[in-house]
Amino acid sequence: MIDAAAWVARLDAPDFSEDDALAFDAWLAAAPINAAAYRRTLALWHEFAAAAGQVREELADRAEEANRVARPAFGQPRRRGVLFAGAAAAVAAALVVVVALPPTAPPEATHQTFATARGQHQHVTLADGSVIDLNAETRLTATMSGSQRRITLAEGEAVFDVTSDKTRPFTVATGQGEVRVVGTQFDVKSRDGELTVTVARGKVAVRSASADPSAEPVFLTPGMQLSLGGGRPEEAVAHVDPQATFAWREGRLVYRDQPLTTVVADLNRQFPEQIAIGDPNLDKIRITGVIVLDNPQAVTSRLALMLPIRAISSERGLLLLKK
Amino acid sequence: MAPSGTPPTGAPKEADASPLTLAFLEKRESLLLFLAARTRSMAAAEDLVQELYLKVAAVGPETDVRAPAPLLYRMAANLLIDQVRSAQRDGRRNAEWRKETQITLGGEDIVAEPPADEQLIAKDRARQLADAVEALPPQMGRAFRLHKLEGRSQQETADLMKISRKMVEQHIAAAIRHLTQRLRS
Repeated sequence: MIDAAAWVARLDAPDFSEDDALAFDAWLAAAPINAAAYRRTLALWHEFAAAAGQVREELADRAEEANRVARPAFGQPRRRGVLFAGAAAAVAAALVVVVALPPTAPPEATHQTFATARGQHQHVTLADGSVIDLNAETRLTATMSGSQRRITLAEGEAVFDVTSDKTRPFTVATGQGEVRVVGTQFDVKSRDGELTVTVARGKVAVRSASADPSAEPVFLTPGMQLSLGGGRPEEAVAHVDPQATFAWREGRLVYRDQPLTTVVADLNRQFPEQIAIGDPNLDKIRITGVIVLDNPQAVTSRLALMLPIRAISSERGLLLLKK
Repeated sequence: MAPSGTPPTGAPKEADASPLTLAFLEKRESLLLFLAARTRSMAAAEDLVQELYLKVAAVGPETDVRAPAPLLYRMAANLLIDQVRSAQRDGRRNAEWRKETQITLGGEDIVAEPPADEQLIAKDRARQLADAVEALPPQMGRAFRLHKLEGRSQQETADLMKISRKMVEQHIAAAIRHLTQRLRS
């Protein structure tokens, strides 16, 4: 299906033909909304044409700013004119905001609270275009102001897809620590006093709530997962497949050598009907695999194929027993 | 068919208009939108469609036009080609050229002026546009920057990125979709 954007790009192409022109004519004539959509697209197209120089300069300034602060460590004066190429610049772009936080008070902050119950997911788009996917049993508050974007994750798990805005850092605060980002995608899980942060794209800085505020945060790059709390003396960083962590958004849970208790706890967030482990010997069984979240009966019957277990219905829900 | 735009000033009455002129009046808005993909503003497209009207009116009523629509679009496309040629003549459309191109006049270096239609937009808006461009996936963003911000043709962009011209077109279309969605407010 050719849409307005495709038509603008096609008509802008050097090889557009008479056939293209007549197809375009027919497309416009087919429905009035086509012309309306095309006009909206053109408005943006022309705006970029008019603003090309300014936008280029803005982008060039940002690249220079990123390069400028690439060298110094925290607290050291910036040096001007130091240029780094390629990957170094991209990393530096993530650093800039962490370093140069404007301490100004937000002029008029807006607060929004989102919460999901057991078995619910929620997809939220914030005013800045950032997207949050809330997993089940999650509660968070988004505070947006002119100077900052702050999420307070009271409990639960969410994937954040953050739009880049160097003037407004994006922070996710939990009881165990704080995650600070520029434009990136990552998952934050804060349950039972344990914080897990998994990064799919970009770079984030995590600072433990108990750490000395002057200490350097831990920086995570794609594929890294940080765990904090839950009885650990200090934060642990592992390399993982981020897509496995993000899979819950697509109705899948991915496990690599996890105990059945963890799996059951996760499943119980996804379905109103609860699953209980009826035999303590099963607690320590470990699972590696993908669980598709359709309904608890199907999930448990598939689990029964993977593991030496059987499920029976009880008053409390499904009870898992040794086979 | 979408309603046609306001007929240009001095449009002949339908009675004495040639079939081609009537077809033009009926398709005026579509032709305008067609031209506008290649111009830098709606105003520039309006100028072109007016120019097209003059050419259409110059086609004598005795000319046998069996298929007016293809002819009209062909004439419009020719106008665009003329326009590209004139754009190449004064072709210093982008900031890079502005910064780096110097013209020597009477022994003195002068910096080329930005194109007259490159107006200043609000700083905030420029930031928003830059944010949106930065948020594009890398390849898409590169194609958009080269083509739309630096004023390179789709073919030049393809050569620089070592991808096909068709792929550039697809990147541009996808970029427009991303940008439209993000900047809609």
